[in-house]
Amino acid sequence: MAPARIKILKEVLAHYSSPMTLNYPSSVDPNKKYSTIPEGLRGVPERDQEKCIGCEACARVCSGMATKIFDDEAEAKRLVQIFLFRCTFCQHCADECPTEAIKMSKKFEVATGNRTDPANYVDTTLDLLRCGNCGHTFYPRKYVDKANELLMQKINPLVKDVVETDFKKVQDYCPSCRRAFAYKFDTHTKKHVWLEGQ
Amino acid sequence: MVDVLFTAVTMLIMVPVALFAGILYVFLFRKLSARFQWRVGPIVRMYKDLAPLLGTSRILQPLYDILKLFGKDTPVPDISRKTIFVASPYLAFLCAFLAIFFIPFPGVPLLSTMEDSLVIASYLLIGAVMFTILGAASSGSPWGAIGARRDVEIFLIYEVGFVVALFSVGLVARSLSLWEIATRPGLPMLILNPFAAVLLFLVILGKLAIKPLDMAEAEAEIVAGPFTEYGGKHLALFQLMKAFLFYDMIALFITLFLGSALSSILWLPAYIIAVIVLLFFITVIQVLHPRFQIAKGMSWYGRWVLVFGLLTAIMVLVLRFYWVV
Amino acid sequence: MGIMDKARIYSPWLYHLHCGGCNGCDIETLAALDPRWDPERFGIQLVASPRHADILIATGCVPKQFIPMVKRVYDQVPEPKVVVAIGGCACGGSLFYNEDPDNYAILGSPDLLIPVDVYVPGCAPKPEAIINGIVQGILKLATKKKSAPAQKA
Repeated sequence: MAPARIKILKEVLAHYSSPMTLNYPSSVDPNKKYSTIPEGLRGVPERDQEKCIGCEACARVCSGMATKIFDDEAEAKRLVQIFLFRCTFCQHCADECPTEAIKMSKKFEVATGNRTDPANYVDTTLDLLRCGNCGHTFYPRKYVDKANELLMQKINPLVKDVVETDFKKVQDYCPSCRRAFAYKFDTHTKKHVWLEGQ
Repeated sequence: MVDVLFTAVTMLIMVPVALFAGILYVFLFRKLSARFQWRVGPIVRMYKDLAPLLGTSRILQPLYDILKLFGKDTPVPDISRKTIFVASPYLAFLCAFLAIFFIPFPGVPLLSTMEDSLVIASYLLIGAVMFTILGAASSGSPWGAIGARRDVEIFLIYEVGFVVALFSVGLVARSLSLWEIATRPGLPMLILNPFAAVLLFLVILGKLAIKPLDMAEAEAEIVAGPFTEYGGKHLALFQLMKAFLFYDMIALFITLFLGSALSSILWLPAYIIAVIVLLFFITVIQVLHPRFQIAKGMSWYGRWVLVFGLLTAIMVLVLRFYWVV
Repeated sequence: MGIMDKARIYSPWLYHLHCGGCNGCDIETLAALDPRWDPERFGIQLVASPRHADILIATGCVPKQFIPMVKRVYDQVPEPKVVVAIGGCACGGSLFYNEDPDNYAILGSPDLLIPVDVYVPGCAPKPEAIINGIVQGILKLATKKKSAPAQKA
């Protein structure tokens, strides 16, 4: 009983004048302010406004229901918004983004008293295309351009020209109009027949 | 006439002195326990960049706690017995507050020249705890009931030791006046009857609720125990009572057992060293122990109090009849 | 700033209310109160009873069976008080957020029941972020006042 207490007492007195406390929130000594900030720390997500194409992939995989897409019919604008209060900082959106527009920064001190503060939202606005036929908005312009670009990179060179002309015919119409008026577009749907003959 | 005036003036000066001494003792207790736990505790020199916002020093931290509590709402539960519930903090504080006048400061008698000041001081110190228990029992909450019951059980053990320790010194000094005990010539009581000193130290541990004996106010186990339903200014009065009780018990220990050493010219360094040594031992015991269960704690405590009580009694008989000093 | 406002900043006492959820934010909150970040340097203490507290720390997402307890504990904290909601679930519901109010089990974040003053997002927030939120709560406390002299049960 007593030897155990003496042993603990020695351990207790060993650190009497060198406490292990960090200085947070004081910045007088930057080395002793924060505890370990590891390499891959996931802080607040940040989106590059130029790279985002508005493809909704981040909204579909968001685990905290923080990323939502709001489409404005009248002004033809798409708002991609992350509400940081609900974000779990899991990095799924950054993993799924096809253009790598989202990066997790190392910021983690985001406490705030104001729920409607604009700093709580990560917003990106994109222009939407309007359908030439029905007038409703459908995809963002950048999304369509990016889809075109990826298509042209990976397509078989034999059918490339045909696909390019066909795409130009349909790209201004929304998916429901494309289906309803498919017979009017005169596109070459049976490209595999061409390739079999080669 | 001059006597009465002198006593009145010294009593008035004693109030802030005892208050700041009590606050300093609580601060040192918290600071030492923090240092033993490898952390910093209430900070003495605030960091330069936080000083305008958070103050320059927290030596008076317990005083800020009390002032803040005075500025809060005071809830009174509907199911409590309101008169006793509201009166208990005032009475408990009053008992601990009046006891500072019956314990002499070195060189200044205050009210301790009265014939039975030892008895009066011990009654007041008992009263402080009794009113806490009364308030807890009247609060109508189950946590208060459990806390009150545990408080009574521990109280039964240390009060026996308290009475034995106090009256052992009174018997050897042949007087019940604390001033006469304090100014008694000869060897200090610490050397004549060390068992009584250890016994009173054990009683201090029980009275101030130092771990392992804080099962009455078992924080988070029974949601703050006796003080669960108190808030606002009632809680502030209980915190003041605790600060004054700290001062009272340490001053009583020093008066009884180091009295003759304090009559010499070196009384101030002796007093300060005695305070620091006592606080060190109290803090070390707090830091090394977990909280005991009530049954086990009572039997552990009872054994120690019994052993040292018997040794004290034997020593008193020896000193009084065989080796008269 | 009078002595009372200063005393409120110099001595804030916390009460930790676990409203529901996975306990991650509770563990990080109790880690923020340990010797490594020692908030007792600034007088911050964890108290056992809500009647002693100034700052109510609410963690986690409220299940429907717990709604009366949250309101009751909030009423027991005497004025002036501040509520700090810690974690994504407490700020806006996070995984458990539902726009359809007929979810059979979970209500959502505590701010549908009690007024929240400071939000600390994260899952779970780092202890530094929690202390940052508590310090913002302390500064808000200085601007609040005692209520009129009426005693509550």
